[in-house]
Amino acid sequence: MKPFTSILKTAALTAFALVATGVTTTAQPSFEKPTSREVVESLDVRRGQYLDRVREMQDHRIGLYRAENFTKIDNSAMAILLMRGEEIEACNNRVLELMQEPGTGPFWMFPTTMVAYAGRDKLSTEAQEAIREAWRTTRQLRGDTENHWVMYHTSMYLMAQLYPDEPGSEWWNGLSSSENLEEGKGWLLDWMDISTTIGQGEYNPTHYIGEYAIPLLMLSVWAEDPAMRQRSGMLLDWLFAELATVTLDGMMRGPNSRTDDTSVVERWYALANYFSWQLFGNIPAGEGFRGWGWGNYFSVLAEYYTVPEVIYRIAVDRRADILQRDRARSRRIWRYGDEHMRPIYKTQYLRNDYAVGSHQGGMSDPIQSHVWDVTWSVDDPRGVHNTMFSMHPHSSGKVMQMFFCTYPEPMPPGVTYEGKPSYNSANKLLGCSPFEEVVQDLDTVVALYDIDPSSDFPQVNGFFSKDLADVTEHESGWIFARGGSTYLAYRPLADYHWQPHIRYPNGRDPTITEETGGRILTSPHSKNGTILQAADGDEFTTMAAFQAAILALPLSYELDPVPSVRFTSLRGREIVAKYGATPYVDGQPIDYGNWKLFEGPHLNSEVDSGVLTITHGQLGRVLDFNTLSATDIVVE
Amino acid sequence: MQLFLHRNCLTPRIRNRGRLGILLFTLLGFVLSMTGAPAYDFFICANVNRNYVIGSKIVTTNGLFQRDPVANEWKHFGYNDTTISAVAFDPRDRDTIYTTTLNGIWVSYDGGDTWKMTNSWDMTEGRDVAVDPQAPDTVYLALPDGIAVSIDRGQKWERRENGLPDRGKYTQTIETDREIAGRVLAGCEKGIFMTEDSGQSWRQVLPTETTVNDLEQSPHDAEHWLAVTDTHGAWQSTDGGDSWRQIEALPAEEAIYNATYDPTDAKRQAIASWAYGVWTSEDGGETWTERNRGLPDGARAWRVGVDPNSGRLYASIFQETLYCSDDFGRTWQPDAMEGSSVNAFLSVSRD
Repeated sequence: MKPFTSILKTAALTAFALVATGVTTTAQPSFEKPTSREVVESLDVRRGQYLDRVREMQDHRIGLYRAENFTKIDNSAMAILLMRGEEIEACNNRVLELMQEPGTGPFWMFPTTMVAYAGRDKLSTEAQEAIREAWRTTRQLRGDTENHWVMYHTSMYLMAQLYPDEPGSEWWNGLSSSENLEEGKGWLLDWMDISTTIGQGEYNPTHYIGEYAIPLLMLSVWAEDPAMRQRSGMLLDWLFAELATVTLDGMMRGPNSRTDDTSVVERWYALANYFSWQLFGNIPAGEGFRGWGWGNYFSVLAEYYTVPEVIYRIAVDRRADILQRDRARSRRIWRYGDEHMRPIYKTQYLRNDYAVGSHQGGMSDPIQSHVWDVTWSVDDPRGVHNTMFSMHPHSSGKVMQMFFCTYPEPMPPGVTYEGKPSYNSANKLLGCSPFEEVVQDLDTVVALYDIDPSSDFPQVNGFFSKDLADVTEHESGWIFARGGSTYLAYRPLADYHWQPHIRYPNGRDPTITEETGGRILTSPHSKNGTILQAADGDEFTTMAAFQAAILALPLSYELDPVPSVRFTSLRGREIVAKYGATPYVDGQPIDYGNWKLFEGPHLNSEVDSGVLTITHGQLGRVLDFNTLSATDIVVE
Repeated sequence: MQLFLHRNCLTPRIRNRGRLGILLFTLLGFVLSMTGAPAYDFFICANVNRNYVIGSKIVTTNGLFQRDPVANEWKHFGYNDTTISAVAFDPRDRDTIYTTTLNGIWVSYDGGDTWKMTNSWDMTEGRDVAVDPQAPDTVYLALPDGIAVSIDRGQKWERRENGLPDRGKYTQTIETDREIAGRVLAGCEKGIFMTEDSGQSWRQVLPTETTVNDLEQSPHDAEHWLAVTDTHGAWQSTDGGDSWRQIEALPAEEAIYNATYDPTDAKRQAIASWAYGVWTSEDGGETWTERNRGLPDGARAWRVGVDPNSGRLYASIFQETLYCSDDFGRTWQPDAMEGSSVNAFLSVSRD
């Protein structure tokens, strides 16, 4: 157990500030009280705590609107109140008001669907008709990413189910209820099939997990088709089993299909961590659930989901190191690539106090990917930049064209005003690159870069957090540091200089920046590389001992004609990596082609099988999408 | 820009039909000008939503606009959608309208009052749409992963991709030959592909390594086509698209987004490019001149189009006001549609 020693101090300061400023707020125990990471053995107590957290999130959300007597309530709070059977008249009025100006697209569709279902036997006839009219008249956009499509098709499926047997004239898209139901079902089944056979597209997202979990929860509760309910509930288990496996003390880390400029350095900030908080109770919440906004929607139906024992224990009951190798898939590639979707090979190595994760490099999602990092545990992760990594700040109009129906020029500057402010910046820390290859063995990473010199930013950026301690630039070329109790050795393979790390407080304006106190190691060389070795604080008595151990490790490398490294890690394993060639560990090639969908101590699945076996100790749960069965087993 | 000629003007393909076409076109224009009625309706597909992202509330009016020559303004009709990319009409029935959007393909059979999304979930992000004027029940849909064809006026769609490469069939533009049924050209990632059997089979007629962004058939000479690309510059064909010759007078390093003919003047052509802006030719494509003076700084020309009634040249500058020129680019005036990007210009015969 790691108590949050600083949490009371934070709470006290916050309470003082609130009193001083006269601000009132809803009680938020998860922010104000220390969080225990002890395993809760009693099922009843654990379930009770889970429901307490549901209630806390719900109370917080509706509390935001109480002072105005719920006149400005949003859809999530409305859905909560409707499920509780409270403030119905206020909901009626607000529905009528909101439906006068319906939104467009999945982010309007699924909240409205939630209100429609939560209020189907509570809202007034007039309010229900207002919702129905909006779905008849207001054109909706399906979006352009996988999470959009999950929300869009789930919403269309459920709304068509709610209003069956109606002709196309009663729907915004001209399709009848049965056509809309079939369209939604067709897409959802196809998506569920490929996700459970060749891997998730938006794998390990720091924020978009909500856009998957919420629709799946809606389907698992509200779909009338028992097969759809069952599939959706099983896929929720699937999603949360992986969340449990890859989080460190409840915290999502890399690699991530998609993350953002804040979460990539402040790992606690991710919405994914809301799900750890809700499901496992092993991570503290921020004041006002900062950064966890979508959790309010999950909370609407969260009482209908029960965390399987085995998944809970994977997240909380960590008894040994975890080495997990998994497959996922890239965003779909429309053009300028040989594959429709690239296979992504993820390596996850989690220890008690730190975790190292990566994928093989190359393109995954062109804007928001995060390829590798080491992330360390801290008592209270809120506001802490507890991670280290390097990357090539790649920006390319042609790469945008691979993934989007666009022209070469407009997107790179355009997305910087669409919530991805760093995209076109040399100093960015977000994104993947076609010129990066990564090899990971346990807690050692070798990242090689052979960057097209004509690319916009032919350099490598290394992130050095404001929260590192004992940073030492050794004459050998190694840079030593300590993150929490974790020892870190970072070796840039080319000259570098330092720049301040900046953040984007206004996520939609790239010109507004603030320094964080952290630094970016900038290595302006197109042929480049990084070696990172992590070690547990218990392994060495002093930093000096760690340094001595690292300096004694055999290392040779070349940058021309292509970067290559031969390095024997702290674990005694020789890694041979050459850009563009198959990597070797102890003389054995890493054969990604033979990787399973999941392989490790907790998650195992064969490619194309549609079956995931989740285990922890003797506990097991088998999700079989061929038979639509979820079976708890005892592992002998 | 896609142009439908008066149906009575359509003639069987003959080698010298270009001259005949010009004669008939001119005659038609003369007759209609005597009656005072414009010969064509002029449409644009415009998105007027700077920095719209999925999930935002749409606060502007987007989609189809028709030029009102009397009021001298653009009038919106149909739906409001920020993602419209192309439009086509059934030449027999102007009330039958096909539009492509992010969602796929939308069809109206009542002049735009009601619409139906007729694509299936695996045919989305429509890029372009074209009706075969010689077989108007047949409609072609350009998709980012290939080509679909409808033979029942857009009610149902089937993939017709035989001859397209497995990878490289991203299709940005699709144009029907206005004189020969079943003859269609598609601008894809890997070049220009042609079918002469309504999409049953395709053959590559111009290989490229990057996307063909636009294809246009001359309204004056059905054998003459223009094509523009991402990194291969502009091309022309004088044999109906069978063979292609690069237009050396135009730059080729950066992307050219579209090309247009002037329906009122057989010698005039124009192209739009983000990097190069607007270029025009007034000698049938032999020489080209940059025409960015008077346009906003930084080029960013998104599309060019020509009003078939007046010969007025329009330039859509990315998320800026639509500009127009009555001297084919020598001088420009802001027109309307502030903050717009026009994805297509279309002229349709009034007859």
